[in-house]
Amino acid sequence: MSSPPPPPDHREDPVYRNSLRDARFGMSFWAIATTFVCVSAYLTGYQRAGRTLTEQDIRPVWGIPSWFLWSVMIPWVVCSVICVVYAGFIMTDDDLGADHTEELEQEIREGTDVHELA
Amino acid sequence: MNSPEPVHAELATFLALVVFMVISLSLGVIANYVGRVKTGFLKSYFLGNRSLGAFAVALTAAVMSGGTFMGYPSLVYKFGWVVGLWICSYMIVPVTVLGVLGKRIGQLARRTGAITLPDFFRERFESPMLGLITSLLVLFFLTSNLVAQFKAGGLILKLTLPQSIQRAVGADTGSGSTADRMAGVAAAAADEPAEKIAKPAGPKANSWEDNAYVLGLVIFSVTVIFYTAYGGFLAAIWTDVFQSLVMAVGVMILFPLALNAAGSISAGTAAGISQTGDPSFAFGPGASRSFHPIGLAVSFFVMWAISAMGQPSTLVRLMAFRDTRTLRWSIIYLTLYNLVIYIPLIFIFICARQVLPNLERTDEVMPRLVIALANPYIAGLILAAPFGAVMSTVSGWLLIISSGLVRDLYQRFIRPQASELEIQRASYAGTVLVGVLVCILALNPPEYLQLIVVFSSSGMAASFLAPAAYGAFWRRANGLGMIAAMITGAGVTLALYAVGMVWASNGYDSGIGAGGTLAPVYLLGMDPCVWGIGSSFLAGAVVTLLTKPPREELVARMFEKDRPLHVHA
Repeated sequence: MSSPPPPPDHREDPVYRNSLRDARFGMSFWAIATTFVCVSAYLTGYQRAGRTLTEQDIRPVWGIPSWFLWSVMIPWVVCSVICVVYAGFIMTDDDLGADHTEELEQEIREGTDVHELA
Repeated sequence: MNSPEPVHAELATFLALVVFMVISLSLGVIANYVGRVKTGFLKSYFLGNRSLGAFAVALTAAVMSGGTFMGYPSLVYKFGWVVGLWICSYMIVPVTVLGVLGKRIGQLARRTGAITLPDFFRERFESPMLGLITSLLVLFFLTSNLVAQFKAGGLILKLTLPQSIQRAVGADTGSGSTADRMAGVAAAAADEPAEKIAKPAGPKANSWEDNAYVLGLVIFSVTVIFYTAYGGFLAAIWTDVFQSLVMAVGVMILFPLALNAAGSISAGTAAGISQTGDPSFAFGPGASRSFHPIGLAVSFFVMWAISAMGQPSTLVRLMAFRDTRTLRWSIIYLTLYNLVIYIPLIFIFICARQVLPNLERTDEVMPRLVIALANPYIAGLILAAPFGAVMSTVSGWLLIISSGLVRDLYQRFIRPQASELEIQRASYAGTVLVGVLVCILALNPPEYLQLIVVFSSSGMAASFLAPAAYGAFWRRANGLGMIAAMITGAGVTLALYAVGMVWASNGYDSGIGAGGTLAPVYLLGMDPCVWGIGSSFLAGAVVTLLTKPPREELVARMFEKDRPLHVHA
C-alpha cells in the first residue's frame, strides 16, 4: 500500500512543519540526554564486575558524590538551560486555527458525523 | 526505630486538610462562575474553554503526583544517591511531554472539534471503533485508579480525624503514636497497600464495617465530587496548581532545615553507608539490592519522559492550552519547577539518614522528617499537600470518565439531539454518578484492582502514545493500525505485570527494582513500559501498512492548510 502523497509546498501546513521540527528536536534531545547521563553514570558511578567502588571513590564536591555531580546535576542544569532557550527563543508561535467544536456538535446533533465503524 | 514525637502535629494536619478542602470547594465555585460562557457548555466544562494558561499547563500536565512525591523520598532514604538517576529524566520532561506533541495535539483538537480523548482519536482517524476502544480503555484504567485514590483519601481523613470525632462514631482509635498516624497519612498518599498503612485491628478495618474509614471516605467523596461536578475542568486544574505550589514551598522550607540538622550532605551520605553497611548507598545500582541497574536507568528515561506523553490527563491538557505562546512559557515554567524541586529533594532525604537513622518503615521518612524539623502548623501544611494531590488527581480523572460517558456514550449513541441544557444536566449527573459509584466500590475494593492500579500508568502510555504520535505526524496512519497499537500496547504491558506477579507470589525475586509482590517481569532488564510502548508502535505501523490507506480528503484536512473542515465521506 502506498502512502498518501505529500502536499505541494504551498499547501503544507506551517503548524505541522514547525511541530515536526519541535518533535525532532525533543526526541533527539531526549536521546542525547539519555545516552550521556546513563553512559556517564555507568562508567563513573556504578559498581560493576572488576570495578568495586569504595568510600574513597565518592570524592565529594560540596558533599555531592562526584559521579552524581557530573552525570546528573550538571547535565540537569545544562538541559534546563537548553529547554529554556529552545522554548523561549527557538520554538515558533503559530496560529492553531479556528476551533471547530461547535461544528462537530452540530454534526453529532444532525447525525452527519458518520463514519464506517473501523 | 527512631520515633520523634511531635506536639500538636495531628491537629495541625487536620486543620490543614480542612483548609485544603475549603479552598478546593471555593475554587469549584469560582470555576463554575468563570466557566459560565455563552459558547459550548461541554467545551467549557470538560476543557476549560481551551483557555489554560502557561502556569496551569506547566504545573498540571507533567508534575509528579502526590503518590510519587511521597514515595520518592522513601526510595532516596532506602537506596541512596542512585535514586537521583532514577528521577533525573525530569530534566528533559518539559521538552518531551509538552514540546513533542503539544502544538499538533492542540491544533488537531481545534481542527476536529474534539473535546475528549475518544473524540480526538475518532475524528482524527474517522474511526468510531477506535473511539469506542479508547473509551473502554480509559474507563478500565481510570476507574480502577479512582477506587484506589478514593480509598487513599478516605484513609488519610480517617488517620487525621480528631480522636474525639472517631470515638463519637464508635471507631477504634488505636494506640499508635501521633507520628505513627501521620506516617500512615503519608503512606496512604503514596498509594501504599492498605494493610501496610493503617495497621488494621481486625478484618473489618478500612472497609464498610470500619466507621472511621467510612466517615473519612464520605467526607472526602462529598468534597471532591461537589467541587468537581460544580466547577468542572477549571476546578480540577486550579486545585492541582494549588497543591503543586504548596509542595514546592514545603521543599523550600525543608531543605535548609534538613541541611542544618544533618550538618552537611556528606554526613548524610556517611550515615547512609554506615547504616546500610553498603558503600553502594553513594553509587549505583543502590544500597542493599540492585535497585537501579543501568537497564532500568534507561527504562526510566522512557518511563518519565516518554510515557508521560501518552497519559490521558496529559493529552487532555494539550487539547486545552490557550495558544502556542502559552505552550512555550509552560515549558519554561516546568523546567524551572523541576530544577528547584527534585534536586533539593535528593539532598533532603540523603540528610535524613543523619537526622532519622535506621527507620524500619522507610515510607514514613517524609512525614517523620517534616514533623521532626518543622513548626507543627507548617508540618501540617506540608503533609496536607499530598492530600491535595490525591484530591486534584481524583477530580481530573472523574472528569475524564464523565466526559467519556456524556460525550462518547450519551451524546453520540443515546441522545444525539440532546439540548444544551440536557447535556449540562447530564454532565453534572455523570460526574456525581461516577463519583458515587467509585465511592461505593472504595468501601470494599476487590483484590484484583491492585494489579490494574500498578500497571495502569505504563498501560495507558502503551495504549495511547502511539496513536497520538502517529495521528500527529504520520499521514499514512489509519484507524485499524491504531486499534492494533492500542490493544498490543495494553496487552504486552499487562502480560509482563501479570507474569511477574505470579512469579513473585511463588517466591521468585529478579533481584532488581524495588522488589515486592507487585514486581513485573523486567525482560532483558528493561521496565515493561519500554516493551509496551515499543510493541504498540510496531503493531501500529505493521497493521497500518497492511491495510487500506486513509481517505485523501481526511489526510488533507489534517495535514494541509486552508482545507474545508468536517466534510465526511
